[in-house]
Amino acid sequence: MDIQLKRGLLDVCVLAAIKNEDSYGYKIIKDMKPYIELSESTLYTILKRLEAANMLTVRTAEHGGRLRKYYRITNKGLKRIEDFQREWSEILSIYKFVTKEDNRHDEA
Amino acid sequence: MTKLKFLFSLRDQLSGLPEEELEERISFYSEMIEDRMEDGLSEEEAVAEIGSVEEVASQIISDIPLSKIALEKIQPKRQLKMWEILLLALGAPVWLPLLISAVAVIFSVYVVLWSVIISLWAVFGSVIACAFAGIVSGIGFMIGANGLTGAAMVAAGIVCAGLSIFLFYGCMAATNGTIRLAKILMLGIKKCFIRKVDTQ
Repeated sequence: MDIQLKRGLLDVCVLAAIKNEDSYGYKIIKDMKPYIELSESTLYTILKRLEAANMLTVRTAEHGGRLRKYYRITNKGLKRIEDFQREWSEILSIYKFVTKEDNRHDEA
Repeated sequence: MTKLKFLFSLRDQLSGLPEEELEERISFYSEMIEDRMEDGLSEEEAVAEIGSVEEVASQIISDIPLSKIALEKIQPKRQLKMWEILLLALGAPVWLPLLISAVAVIFSVYVVLWSVIISLWAVFGSVIACAFAGIVSGIGFMIGANGLTGAAMVAAGIVCAGLSIFLFYGCMAATNGTIRLAKILMLGIKKCFIRKVDTQ
């Protein structure tokens, strides 16, 4: 996959992983695993980038005798997801059109 | 490998990095290992899933911009004494030109790499131009009753066109190769900065 495209997609994926509830590092990777592989270093970079863009906030909480960082989505992050959904529903309808065109030729 | 050994090894490889960045990333990886262990993996498995120390260190180093690494390297770790400041200032005519030449050398390596690529593409461009010129003027000659010459020129033009197809793939491969080479170079330069701290 094109690197730039992948980077943008991974950003939105991570946001989606924390959309409905606060999440933490490893849980984000686990949640995304059925759909896309994510390495620790990539996740770190994405989280830092999203934080800098104010699309998520970080807080540290105690868990089982150690500290864990929890990530929460912001309104800006939610908007990013909405934009993504809008962009891609357009792409999806174009995709349907393109593949439909091919099918008709096969039948002929 | 145990978690402590992994983190210790990682910290060692990144010892030249800015303190803040380093600590943050180390605790991030520590947290990751702990979470995997909590999920049921053994310590060995958890560490193995993260990757090798080399891989992780390289990824982190390439993530941090060269400017930050260089800045960290030249920051004085403690208050400089008067004589040290004086020595630094007096020695400027020596180390300043050296520093400038080092930067210039690195810069020229990049320029050389990219000039090779630019010239390859220039050759590609001229071969295409020859193809075009050959075919067009060849046809012109043929129309003007210089049939044989014209045909020869058209033929030459077509040969050039064919050549340019090969050249195109060659240029693309060379360009991609150079981009990757530049990335490896940049990583190597950053590692140089980080390594040097160990020897002090």
